[in-house]
Amino acid sequence: MNAQGPASAGTSRYLSTGPLVWVATLVCTTLLLAMLKQALWLVVPFLLAIILYYALFPAVRRLTLAGVEREIAAAIVAGTFFVAAVAALVPTLPWIAAQAMSSEEAVYRYLAGGRVLVDRTLITLESQFGFLKRMDFHAEMGRKIDEVAGSYVQDHLTEALLGVAAWLPSLLLAPFLAFFFLRDGRRFLKFLGAAVPNAYFERTLYMIEQVDATARAYFQGLLKLTVLDAVCLALGLTAIGMPAPFALGLMAAVLAWVPFIGSVIACVIVVLVAATDFPADPWVVYAAIGLFLVVRLLDDFVFMPLTVGRSLHMHPLPTVLLIFVGGAVAGIPGLILVLPLAGVVMVVAGTIGGIVNNPRLRARHRFAGTLQARRVTADLHS
Amino acid sequence: MLGFFHGGKETPRLGTLRQLSLFATLSRPELRVVDGLLHERRFLKGEVIFDEGEEGQVLHIVITGRVLICRQGEPETGRITDIEAGVVFGELALLDDAPRAAQARAAEDCVLASLSRADFESLLDTHAVIASKIALQLARQLGRQLRERTQAAERKPL
Repeated sequence: MNAQGPASAGTSRYLSTGPLVWVATLVCTTLLLAMLKQALWLVVPFLLAIILYYALFPAVRRLTLAGVEREIAAAIVAGTFFVAAVAALVPTLPWIAAQAMSSEEAVYRYLAGGRVLVDRTLITLESQFGFLKRMDFHAEMGRKIDEVAGSYVQDHLTEALLGVAAWLPSLLLAPFLAFFFLRDGRRFLKFLGAAVPNAYFERTLYMIEQVDATARAYFQGLLKLTVLDAVCLALGLTAIGMPAPFALGLMAAVLAWVPFIGSVIACVIVVLVAATDFPADPWVVYAAIGLFLVVRLLDDFVFMPLTVGRSLHMHPLPTVLLIFVGGAVAGIPGLILVLPLAGVVMVVAGTIGGIVNNPRLRARHRFAGTLQARRVTADLHS
Repeated sequence: MLGFFHGGKETPRLGTLRQLSLFATLSRPELRVVDGLLHERRFLKGEVIFDEGEEGQVLHIVITGRVLICRQGEPETGRITDIEAGVVFGELALLDDAPRAAQARAAEDCVLASLSRADFESLLDTHAVIASKIALQLARQLGRQLRERTQAAERKPL
């Protein structure tokens, strides 16, 4: 199973393409996102479980290759992951608890650091450009920032922190869901296949395999991309002397799962940390911004083609449109979910389109129904 | 040590699979792996299994019943061969992307076990020994068919 697996999805005679399929893909993806928005408490752990499933699947495959039964391999791999995760979390619990207690205070401290940086930058700009000084640019901008950011942060910060805390228990579902995906995934595919009439069986089987290949290529690519991003950012942050470079690098790489805005948010956070921890050295801030730009370029031109690539086989125009729709309909989870969801919907819509446009398959299905009806009513006519 | 995880009794289902020539050389744990990949399909007498020219994605094995291979839409006059229980058909779908060479219809009510190309390819990745045993049996069957057809052609008067 490689990242090019779904390549055949775009070329198979089984999949129908065309404007109707594209419209159906867009409408169905939007409707699904609107439905998922109502159950976000389940969708987020479900999404994490899918990512975990594709991360752990190679280990399960290695064990089955060594002769271990699938069920036992799934239990061993999921159990090992769970124990390792707990072992890694336990020593950090006191630190996490301390951070949680002081999270509100820390946020205000970093925001104040950011404010100092903005002030200093505006003063520098005023000293360089006379017209800005005449406009009293620094004072004016300061007042605007106080009006907007001050009230917004006060109104929403506590609410946002409590919201994050409320989400944490539901995330514990993710490893359990991942275990069942690993153990029963194949059984579920057989169950789905068994529900399909004979005439459509081969196409449905092909569709299920394509959906699995599409999701696998996307999520495994995403994980590789996250590791590459995290390592590059951590090395860069270490080089410019930032504190906790690996934690910041990992956080930024995970935030990059949110298309477009994720990288910007990560960059702002790192800039705030740099501005707070190095108030007298603005070059650290500029170096951090430069590092994010370099990693962004590496992402777009080197890492993405090597990992996620064109695993979803979508044109850039509908891709951008879908990202906007995802954000508008379901917020940040929508931004993360919309592309893999659209990739899966596209395969399903293409398969259904292929069946609907194939009168022979429909005729075969009707004929099988006639044979069945004749069989069950044979004795009624005598 | 990994042998600890093997074992278990042979179920009637595995017994049925072992009777099939394609899986005759597989051990019980190997059969269990293959069983996890097979889809069971039931066809009524006269039902079309696949059409000539269709893109084939799966190989079928007749578990019970009989399957007729014929020219497209000519089950009476265009009969090519009958496939009995235990025999494989549509195996070329696993080997190449070529369209189906003939139509397959259920000559009697039948139960088929179907293995998809994608599952066979994943078997090559994860269980190369199983895949090679199946591929060897497939090659034997194709060789047998080729020999039979050559002999039949030689017997035909010029």
